[in-house]
Amino acid sequence: MAELTRREFLLIGTAGGAVVAVGVILPLSQLAKDQPEAVAGSTTTTTTATSPPTTAAPAAVVGVFPRVRVASLGEVNATDPITFDYPLQGQRNVLVKLGVPASAGVGPDQDIVAYSSLCTHMGCVVEEYRPEHRALGPCPCHFSTFDLANDGMVSLGQATQNLPRVLLEIEADDVYATGVVRLVYGFANTLQGADSVEVS
Amino acid sequence: MSFTQPSSVPLPPPDAEVNIICCEYCPVACAYKAYTWPLGRDGGPSAADNALGVDFPTALLSGAWPSENMHNVILRNGRPHNVIVIPDKDTQAVNIGGTHSVRGGAIAKKFYNPNSPTADRYKTPLLRVRGDLIPISWDMAFDLVARLSTHTIENYGELAWGMKIYSYQFYENVFSASKLAFGEIGSPNYSPHHAPAEGDDVPGLSDTGIDAFGSSFEDDKEADVIMISGSDPYETKTVRFTTWQQPGGAKLIYVDPRKTFTAAYALKNGGLHLQLNPGTDVALYNAMVREVIAQGWEDKEFVDRYTASRSELNEETKWRRAMFGMSFDEIREYVFSRDEFTLEGAEGITGVPADQIRQAAALLTGGGGARPKAMILFEKGLYWSHNYENTAAIGNLGVLIGATGQPGRATGRMGGHQRGGQKAAGYPMDKSPHFYEGNPVEMDTERWLVEGNTRFRWVVGTNWIGAMGATQALAARVRELTSIGPTVASTNVDTAFEQLRSRIDEGGMVVVHQEIYPNDSTQYADLVLAAGAWGEDNYARNNAERRLRIYEKIADTPGQSLPDWKIFASVAQRMGYGGFDWPDTNAIFEEAGPKSAGGRRDFSALVELAQERGVRAHDLLREFGTTGIQTPIVRDGDQLVGTARLHANLEWNTNSGKANFVMPDWDAVAARNAQIGPQGDEVWVLNGRINHVWNNLFDFMRREYSTQRWPMNFLEVNPDDAQRWGIESGDLLSIESDNVIDQLGGRTTGSFTAVAYVADTVPPGVTFTYFLFPGSPANSVTPGDSNLQPINLRYNFKLGKGRVTKIGTTDLVGRMSFVPRNLV
Ligand code: SF4
Ligand code: FES
Repeated sequence: MAELTRREFLLIGTAGGAVVAVGVILPLSQLAKDQPEAVAGSTTTTTTATSPPTTAAPAAVVGVFPRVRVASLGEVNATDPITFDYPLQGQRNVLVKLGVPASAGVGPDQDIVAYSSLCTHMGCVVEEYRPEHRALGPCPCHFSTFDLANDGMVSLGQATQNLPRVLLEIEADDVYATGVVRLVYGFANTLQGADSVEVS
Repeated sequence: MSFTQPSSVPLPPPDAEVNIICCEYCPVACAYKAYTWPLGRDGGPSAADNALGVDFPTALLSGAWPSENMHNVILRNGRPHNVIVIPDKDTQAVNIGGTHSVRGGAIAKKFYNPNSPTADRYKTPLLRVRGDLIPISWDMAFDLVARLSTHTIENYGELAWGMKIYSYQFYENVFSASKLAFGEIGSPNYSPHHAPAEGDDVPGLSDTGIDAFGSSFEDDKEADVIMISGSDPYETKTVRFTTWQQPGGAKLIYVDPRKTFTAAYALKNGGLHLQLNPGTDVALYNAMVREVIAQGWEDKEFVDRYTASRSELNEETKWRRAMFGMSFDEIREYVFSRDEFTLEGAEGITGVPADQIRQAAALLTGGGGARPKAMILFEKGLYWSHNYENTAAIGNLGVLIGATGQPGRATGRMGGHQRGGQKAAGYPMDKSPHFYEGNPVEMDTERWLVEGNTRFRWVVGTNWIGAMGATQALAARVRELTSIGPTVASTNVDTAFEQLRSRIDEGGMVVVHQEIYPNDSTQYADLVLAAGAWGEDNYARNNAERRLRIYEKIADTPGQSLPDWKIFASVAQRMGYGGFDWPDTNAIFEEAGPKSAGGRRDFSALVELAQERGVRAHDLLREFGTTGIQTPIVRDGDQLVGTARLHANLEWNTNSGKANFVMPDWDAVAARNAQIGPQGDEVWVLNGRINHVWNNLFDFMRREYSTQRWPMNFLEVNPDDAQRWGIESGDLLSIESDNVIDQLGGRTTGSFTAVAYVADTVPPGVTFTYFLFPGSPANSVTPGDSNLQPINLRYNFKLGKGRVTKIGTTDLVGRMSFVPRNLV
């Protein structure tokens, strides 16, 4: 049986879902790590982080995340998550102050996080927040529960992906959304298929 | 504005190839479709532009959204392809609507992709030379296995030749292995991955005459009340729960020492959680039987018409049923003769309040009102605690309330894995060296090995040592037996053969391990045979409702690895046996058809009809799509008809055709508990499955999505115990015992480490861990002596015990979730 070499595999795609011909997608594993997420200022051509440049069609940026003010710091609290759509209309998210620092947390206590509330199992809206466990869930459909202090991972449940995490920045006393890592339920591309919230 | 790249998943173009396949893992066997297409030709987000035929974004519960973990890049016919493996939203059975669990949902990541953690798939056979495994040719590997096998059998007899093998694999692979082991060699030294001996895992239930897999998932929906013992359906048979039990709305009576998710769910939804002490199931069920009879709540018509009388029992020809079968009068007399089975007596033993035992009896029977449709389902927490007695006791309850053979009324297993165990020939019981009161029982192959009688052992698809009780004692003995004689010092085939032959002749043992990945047992292997896997050839298999479906080939086998059946066939041919020249898996499936006749998995009619039509049996099966067809399959003229439930004809698997009660011997259980239970400062160390992973994690430790959740094995510790022992979640624990019963009945030590997960799922004095986590031999603290259960040689896997101490911390807090896993 013919076998492709490791190098050939690297040239043609990655385990995380990157396929060069469509455009430019960083491997999932890279996005999930706490690297500087916004690659603002880089050129419009990007290659997969682990692969050499390819001879396939020239890469192009598929879309651009808007920078949107979500709430003031004072509004973010430890019991009632703030819900907001981002980056597209209908892409619901929750913004919450965990009360303990999290690796992805922002704000003075490094504990403000935002995650998609479209369950990455089959799309039901999961918005029951358990402050004592910093958990979102269980989802009303099949009971997936997500740990917001640990990158939205499934503590128990059936979703095949951590909840997409909204990238946040603090400017003055306001919280801004600047991007999303991981694919939002229902979408083939997080930035395609509905109007941007900026349009509304 | 930010330039963060949006996540995306490639969509299959309209002309993508479509294969059907079921999930590899749990016994539910959800249906999937695999879409493959060459790289660089992706489909688009509108329905007309993708093979899924849906517009993106998809609606909630559409079952049409491929998450990033449903995509991979594979080799197909030598060329790189994208693959999306997604639950089949259009299937008419099992996972209707495209539901799935966290395990199967990400199964695309199972495929070999050298740019992923699957890179360490075995790609060539390997020989251990001076301690290290190095690649050799198939020609040499087959030659060595065949010559060493022949040498063993000729000089030491077939009992010295052993095979330890998965029992859950595809029909084609199990059939070919057993054709060699039973059909040609005729060795009783053969046992499945999960037990020291061949044979029945639920003998007490079988002796009632009820088939363990008699019902359909439809019945779970139809039932008004379901009692579930020793298995959390949400966590481990997920879609059976989410698609059938939960929507059906049956009240649940959940029986488990742990307060798991389903326990909490049962309580929240009008059911019960009977939180019994480990090892006390028999007292609980005997008390329920007594209470039901005392109240007159039994199904009198069923008991009168369909259970065997003493004179009918006297005609039993199977020794176990003859010895332990009971009539209604006899079981009544037994449960009423003992104070242990009063509600209060049982409360004292089981810890379940008398009131709850009565409520459970009432819920299950209607308590004198209208009789509900009741089901009783169980799995390993029950039958790997005490095997014969527990399965007898729970079976008695099923018989007493007539829970068998009718819609929504059944007694049986939840299942641990899928079912493809059609053997080519019968087990050679006449050669087994092990007996119970003069009656032959299947050989305990591990005891036999420890005694030094096995000179050659061929291990197929299992971390066999970690999967057996008293793991570390077994490992030490295997190390000893494989260290005898000279070390293999050359890749010259004759030199290697001579050196391994000397080992055999000097009383040692040669180990061959046929696997897809290295596991904890590979370190003892002299030879590794690189095997193929799910999705790498065409196969067929049943699920836990006897639903037979085709599993199509999607990807190439990595490197030079070969499907299991080809390996068995090649060795058999080298040993000079005929009948192993199958061109493909279809030929094996067709040969297996007639052998299945008359049994639970009878697909002989399908093979017969295919041959009449001049088509391949696999192709005819494919016509049934992801719905498949339930065995036994019968002919209705030109049509094939499946069987939704067994015993619908009101006949059971006994001589009389009636159901039996079976002796649920509490004294035997109490004596065994005293031998194996915690002593001094030890606590129970129970083990079992969890939601995210399956079996020995062969796939899941190579899936980033799983390893972030479970980077290492865990031990659930009750908050009170944690406080007493000075333990917090995230601490590194040692779990050890110095009085584990070993394979020969002696006392040995056992220990493993795990991260503390402080949770109220376990009560004080009880801890819980994963049963087969790599690098964490939890079975080291479970008994390894099948003589503890001489009626049917099985281990008390679920009754481990040990002392728990903190030995340090881990770096897992802040990186692994410690959120309670029973939130409802
Ligand atoms: S429920 Fe079982 S069969 Fe279904 S996807 Fe999950 S592991 Fe696979
Ligand atoms: S949609 Fe949330 S668990 Fe299924």
